[in-house]
Order: sequence, then C-alpha cells, then structure tokens
Amino acid sequence: MKEILLIEDDYLDVESVKRALKKIGVKCNLSVAHNGVDGLTALTGNDKISPDLIILDINMPKMNGVEFLNIIKSYYSLKNIKTFILTTSVEEYDKLAIENLGVHGYILKPLDFKKETTDDTRKLLAELLENN
Amino acid sequence: MTIRLKLLLGFFTLIFVFVVVFFANQSLAQEVLTNTNYLNNSESVIRNSNILHKEMIEMQSGFRGFLLTNQEVFLEPYYEGIKSVPLILIEQKALLSSAQQKSKLDSIYILHKEWVAYSDSLITSKKDTLPEGGKRYQKLFDSKLKMEVGKKLNDKIHEMYTSFDNYEYGVRQERRFVLQKSIKSTRLISIILLLTSVLMGLVSSFYFIRIITTRISTMVNLAEHISQGSFKTLVDSKNDEFTKLLNSLNKMSETLNKNFEELKKKNKELDQFAYVVSHDLKAPLRGISNIISWLEEDHEKDITPEVNQNLILIKGRVLRLENMINGLLEYARIEKTRKGAEQVNINLLIQELKDLLVPPKTVVTIKEDLPIINAEKLHIEQVFANLISNAVKYNNADKPEIIIEYLDLGNYYQFSISDNGPGIDKLYFDKIFEIFQTLQERDAFESTGVGLAIVKKIIEDNKGSINVESMLGTGTKFAFTWPKN
Repeated sequence: MKEILLIEDDYLDVESVKRALKKIGVKCNLSVAHNGVDGLTALTGNDKISPDLIILDINMPKMNGVEFLNIIKSYYSLKNIKTFILTTSVEEYDKLAIENLGVHGYILKPLDFKKETTDDTRKLLAELLENN
Repeated sequence: MTIRLKLLLGFFTLIFVFVVVFFANQSLAQEVLTNTNYLNNSESVIRNSNILHKEMIEMQSGFRGFLLTNQEVFLEPYYEGIKSVPLILIEQKALLSSAQQKSKLDSIYILHKEWVAYSDSLITSKKDTLPEGGKRYQKLFDSKLKMEVGKKLNDKIHEMYTSFDNYEYGVRQERRFVLQKSIKSTRLISIILLLTSVLMGLVSSFYFIRIITTRISTMVNLAEHISQGSFKTLVDSKNDEFTKLLNSLNKMSETLNKNFEELKKKNKELDQFAYVVSHDLKAPLRGISNIISWLEEDHEKDITPEVNQNLILIKGRVLRLENMINGLLEYARIEKTRKGAEQVNINLLIQELKDLLVPPKTVVTIKEDLPIINAEKLHIEQVFANLISNAVKYNNADKPEIIIEYLDLGNYYQFSISDNGPGIDKLYFDKIFEIFQTLQERDAFESTGVGLAIVKKIIEDNKGSINVESMLGTGTKFAFTWPKN
C-alpha cells in the first residue's frame, strides 16, 4: 500500500483530498498533518513514516509550505520524496518550480478531478504512485 | 521688477523726452528769433545811416549852392538838416548796441557839429556882408573854404560813414550766417529729437507688448496643460504681477495633481480591495458547495424530498453568490488584464462573437464594414460580448434582430448595438449601469448585474462614453464611443 502524507490546515481541503483520491481510485495510507511543523514531526519523529508522496498546502500557520520544502530539501533522507503542492493558481506552482524546490506537480484548489483540466495531474499522480 | 513699475518708468522717460524736446525747440527758436531781431535792427541802422548821410550831403550841397548863387532858397535843405540830423542821430544811437559803433556815431556827430559851425560862420558872414562888398566873407572864404576846411571835414565824415557801414555790413553778414546755421541746426535737432522720441515710444511699446504677450502665453500654455490633465508646474524667475497668477496656477496644478494621484491610488486600492475580498470570499463558498455535495454523496438514500428541495435551493443561492463574486472579480480585474493596445479588426471580432453568442434564430445585421481600431483586445471584446449577449438574452421577439453600426466622429468611433427586445424604461437608464443591478427578478432570470457595469467601466477607462436609447416594446439601442488613439 502506498503511503501519502497530506499537510493541510483546512479540514475541508483535507476532506476534499481524501474524497478526490478515493474517487480516482488511488488506494493508499493517508496520513494528515495540519502544518509544516507537524509534517516534519511526522517524517522525523519517533513514529516516523516514509511516504511515497507529500501533498502540501502553501499557506499554513506555524510553518508554511515553502519553508517546509526548504527544510526537507536539506535532509538527505527526505530530499528524494516526491512532493505535490495544493494551490489555487498555476502561477504559484511555476514560481516554486523556478526556485528549484523539488516540487513535482500541483493539484489545483478547488479540487475537482472530473474536469479535463486536471487530467494531467490525475495521470501524473497515478503514475507516480504506481512506479514507486 | 513689476510690469506696473516698468510701465511707469517707460511713460516717465517718454514724458521727460518730450519735455526735453519742448525746451530744446524753445531755445532754438529763441536763438533764431534773436538773430532775426538783430538782422532787423541792423537793417534799420543801415537805413538810418543812409538817411543821415544823405541829409548831411544835402546840407553840404545846399551850403555850396548858396555860397555860389547867394540864393537863400538853396539853404532850405541846410536848415532842414540842422533840425533833423540830431533827431535821427538819437534814434540811431538807440538802435546801436556796439560801443565801437556808438563812438563812431559820436565822432560823426562831433565832426558834423564842427562842419555846421564852419558852414554857419560862412553863411552868416556872407549874408551879413553882402551889401558892403563882403570883406569878412572874403576873408573867411580865403582862410577856410579855399583851405579846404569843409572838404576835409566832409571827407572825414564820409570816411566815418564808410567805416560805420562796413562794420554794420560785416556784422550783419556774420549774423545772417549764424541765423542760417541756427535755422539749419534747429531743423536737424528737432528732427533728431522727434525721431528719438518716436523710436523710444515704439521700442517701449513693443517691449511692453512682448513682455505681456509672452507672459500671458506662458500662463495660457500652463493652463492648457492642466486642462489636458498634465499637471506640471513652471518655475518663474521674473517677479511681476503675472508671477502671482503663475503661482496660483502652479498651486492649482499641484493640488489637482495631488488629488488626482490620490484618486488614482484610492481607485487602485478599491480595485485591490474588491479583488482580495471576492477572491477570499470564494474559498468558504467552495467549502459550502463541497459540504453539500458530500451530504448528497453520503446520505443519498436518507434524503427526503423536502430536504432535497432545500438542498437544491442552497445550491442555487451558492451558485448565485459565486456568480456575483466572479462578476465582482471580473470587474475588479479589468485593469489587471491590461496587456497593451493593439490593432483590433472589429469585423472579425463581431464575427467570432456572433458564432459564440448568437443562436441561429437571431438575425445579426452589420450595417457597414466595421473599422480596425486601436484597443486592448480583451476589453473591447468584453464590451461587445456583453452588449451582444444582453441583446440576445433578453430578447423575447419572435424574430430577434440585432443591428450593429458605427459612425466616424473624427477623433472617435461611435458603435451602436440595437435590438428589437422588450426595451428599457427611461427610469432605469442610469441604474442598469450600476453593479449588481438587474431589472428582472433574480429567480426568474439568472443574471448577476455585472455585465453593463464592466462595459461602462471599460469604456470610461478608455475615455469613451456610453448611452442608451430605448422604447418599451420597441427595442433598445446602446451606443458607445471609442477614441481613435
């Protein structure tokens, strides 16, 4: 079973991602952290997990997505984990991609996996989880 | 220096010049007059001198005639002379101003008196001694007449006269020369002074005209700039009456500029505010929408028809709110979408919009070949799209028609879109352009009331204007202007 870590502070978005993954038929263990600090704890703490994919919100309290990406990039054991960002705009993804923060894809909020525009994301997500 | 002071100085200088001209002419005329008087005087002197000389010569002839003929009749001019010569001499002396001439005249008089004494002695002795054979006369004749005493006196008098007259002629010649010279110089100086004053008058007039017109044109220029919306200020080094005006204009320009910038800032803030607010409003709305769909998913079987009806109502309201937020976002984003003006072929644009928005049963007539205009493509497209889709959306005629025309108004194009729809009451002509205003019940007709607000904003941002003409039951015509530049 694939392991996904979702870092997102908004309950509605967490629920949306859960339902969306279910809808496109991704079977996985989904762990949820509510901000960057919790996310890091989950990756490095006592009961640490090693997810195949991290889905990450950018605007979060305590530690935001960008800070989180910068930190895991510096960990040898964490820097190869694939990351997707949850964002409202493609521009934000492009910005992060240019900054070379090791972001592999994006999921546009609001989540709607039925739309054609998110087909690419869907395909990428499926491939990523299967190839691992 | 103030212009008032300059004007006063100019006028005073001119007045001063005229006063100088007046006194100069006066003194020149005085000189001419003096010289003329002198010449007249000299004329009289010479005339008198001639008369006097003639009198004396006549006395001599009379004297000689009597001595020769013993006829007393010859003595008439002689006695006449004795009476008149002293009178003429007094008159003559009064005319003379030169001491030299006076002394000459005195000498002549002395010589004359000497001659009179001599001649009188001869005449008396001749008269007395006529009856007795004239011994005393003979003696006098021999001792005086024959000795040429009289002749010598006469010669001397003659000589004196010659000298007197020569002097007078000489001086007169000199004076005449001076007179001519003074007349000439008077003329010359008068002309020079006149020309100078005229020149000064002209120069100062031109100077003042120039100062005032250049100053005024500076002001006019500045005012024009301000009226055209370029709020510049001018620095003024002069310190005159116009400086105050210029300062006021500068102040006005600054104030306008400040207010204008503030207004621009406020507008931008407002746009930003609308954008941020509507953007942030969307997230919770999306949440509500999600929760409703989850409710439907999770409780598919438990939902009663009443609950379902209410869920549909919630979804409808959520959709409306979302549409309104999207409209507000679109309205606020107009400025953000500005990329730069380009040449837009309105014919092609209308054709595309027609294919996209107009159902086949609606007839679109394009009256003329529409122009190519310079515009932000997305903006002009939004304008036409909104107007055309309104014309389609609200048209309830059996055979819906849309007519698109344009007019060339020089600096502007005027486009108009007319329909044969239900028309709009005059009361609402202004209201329809306000955001979120619709004329239909929202439940009856799904419309956010943003379209015309966006149209108006785009047109006015591009310095155009829009107006509506309509008759209930006949149709509506929207006409808007778009500047060529």
